[in-house]
Amino acid sequence: MSVLTLTNVSKTYEHGEASVQALRNVNFSIDAGEVILIMGPSGAGKSTFLTTAGGLLSPTSGTVQVEGQEISRLSPKERDALRLHKIGFILQAYNLVPYLTISEQFKLVDHVKKEGNLSADDLQALLAQLDISNLVNKYPQELSGGQQQRAAIARALYADPAVIMADEPTASLDSERVAEVGQLFKDLAKQRQKAIILVTHDDRLTKYADHIYDMLDGRLTKRQ
Amino acid sequence: MSVGLANKNTSALKSWHLQTVVLNKHSNVSLTQSLLTQDQLDQAKLSKKEAVVGQTPVAAKGKNLTTVSSQFIGLNKDEYIFKNLPITRGRKPKKDTEIVVDDAFAQKGYHLGDKIKLNDTARKYKIVGWVHHNEINIAPVVYGSLKTWKKLRNVMPTVAASGIVSKRNFKPGIKGTKSYQQQTFIQKLPGYRDQNMTFMMMIVFLFVISLIIVAVFLYILTMQKLPNFAVLRAQGIPSKVLVSATIWQSLILVLSGVVLGLAGLALSAKFMPAAVPMSFSPAIWIPASLGMVIMGLIGAVLPAVKIARLNPLSGIGG
Repeated sequence: MSVLTLTNVSKTYEHGEASVQALRNVNFSIDAGEVILIMGPSGAGKSTFLTTAGGLLSPTSGTVQVEGQEISRLSPKERDALRLHKIGFILQAYNLVPYLTISEQFKLVDHVKKEGNLSADDLQALLAQLDISNLVNKYPQELSGGQQQRAAIARALYADPAVIMADEPTASLDSERVAEVGQLFKDLAKQRQKAIILVTHDDRLTKYADHIYDMLDGRLTKRQ
Repeated sequence: MSVGLANKNTSALKSWHLQTVVLNKHSNVSLTQSLLTQDQLDQAKLSKKEAVVGQTPVAAKGKNLTTVSSQFIGLNKDEYIFKNLPITRGRKPKKDTEIVVDDAFAQKGYHLGDKIKLNDTARKYKIVGWVHHNEINIAPVVYGSLKTWKKLRNVMPTVAASGIVSKRNFKPGIKGTKSYQQQTFIQKLPGYRDQNMTFMMMIVFLFVISLIIVAVFLYILTMQKLPNFAVLRAQGIPSKVLVSATIWQSLILVLSGVVLGLAGLALSAKFMPAAVPMSFSPAIWIPASLGMVIMGLIGAVLPAVKIARLNPLSGIGG
């Protein structure tokens, strides 16, 4: 069963009399255990796709469903709850709160989401898998770029969401680190049955994806 | 300091527990300028809650000691003010040549038993007792007899006192006199109202400045964190969590400031010279501290509104 489905989704931005169609009749679905890459040049509509699929933007037309629940029918508070419980975002910057240690980032999630987070044992296993077990008492700025990225992945997975959406997860990483992160996403998707969407320019990630979609001028096309 | 100076204007009057003062109606509500005749006093039908008082400013000087500008208060021995004089050391006067003085005299080197001249008259008056914090118009009080007051004031034989002080709502309705409530009387003390208004304006501005400082500080702090807040909102953290964190932060900030301020206050109280007119009453610093906390919370409103209106999309790069 699809975890996330977009059906005939269009998004138009109105700027006075001018309008920009950022998404054009997009159809997309992802199953648990899959890694899907959304690729395309800047301005192609990738971020609009990510924010619409993640419930931050409402589509102008069409429907977005997360585990069968249609997002556009939810109130802003219900959308907050949906993002908190079912969607894990990994963003380019500011993903970790700079004045909290890594372990405190998880406590912040516990503070707002009381149930359904990873158990202490599961968290330990995840941290070990990400190779950051010994970094939990450090602040983000004390970590390297790669370590920060892995900590952000742990933070996103801690709430045990069904979908992980990552925006340019390999930006500013060298090839060795890109391979590590790509393999990590693939392993996490398979082992933990997560649906992972990676929005990226980075061709080096293609070999870790189950499917690749190209976004151009708001149109999403599945690469054969 | 506002309260300290206000106390220095009125501490003696408060020790009398006065509710009303009967004065000559042409005295411009001033005990010093008022004169009542014996005839008027006889008509007043005084009870145990009234005391006849004579007030006049005097320059007190002991041998080889500093001159102390003070307020002489003449009293009848059989009336309540004299009976209840809050003597801290020594005793009450028994003769017309004996006086009780405020302990401001002690700070200027005067001792029990010292003899002093009042207004350079030939007669000397012996200090037989002390009272603590008894001042009128920021001048220490010298308590003596009404007979002495008459001599110092050099009044006509028919004049008997400056006014009648009462612990109750006393309106004898005698021709040529008028009864004033305590607040009216105190507000008319020379300079009292102007001084209090000045301090009140300073205090209000202090609160407004504190409010601006807290608001600007929190606003800058919030602006710096907005990208993080936007990401947290995108991740589904409800804005009420972020708003309440900001308000708590403001509260902790202001409470820390208040605690530090109170510690500074306690230190000041310990080392402040007695001559400095400052009062450290809990009746003042508790409301002032609460006022500061309220200002801090109001200061948190602008950043809180900014967070509540934050668009989570601003945390996502293009």
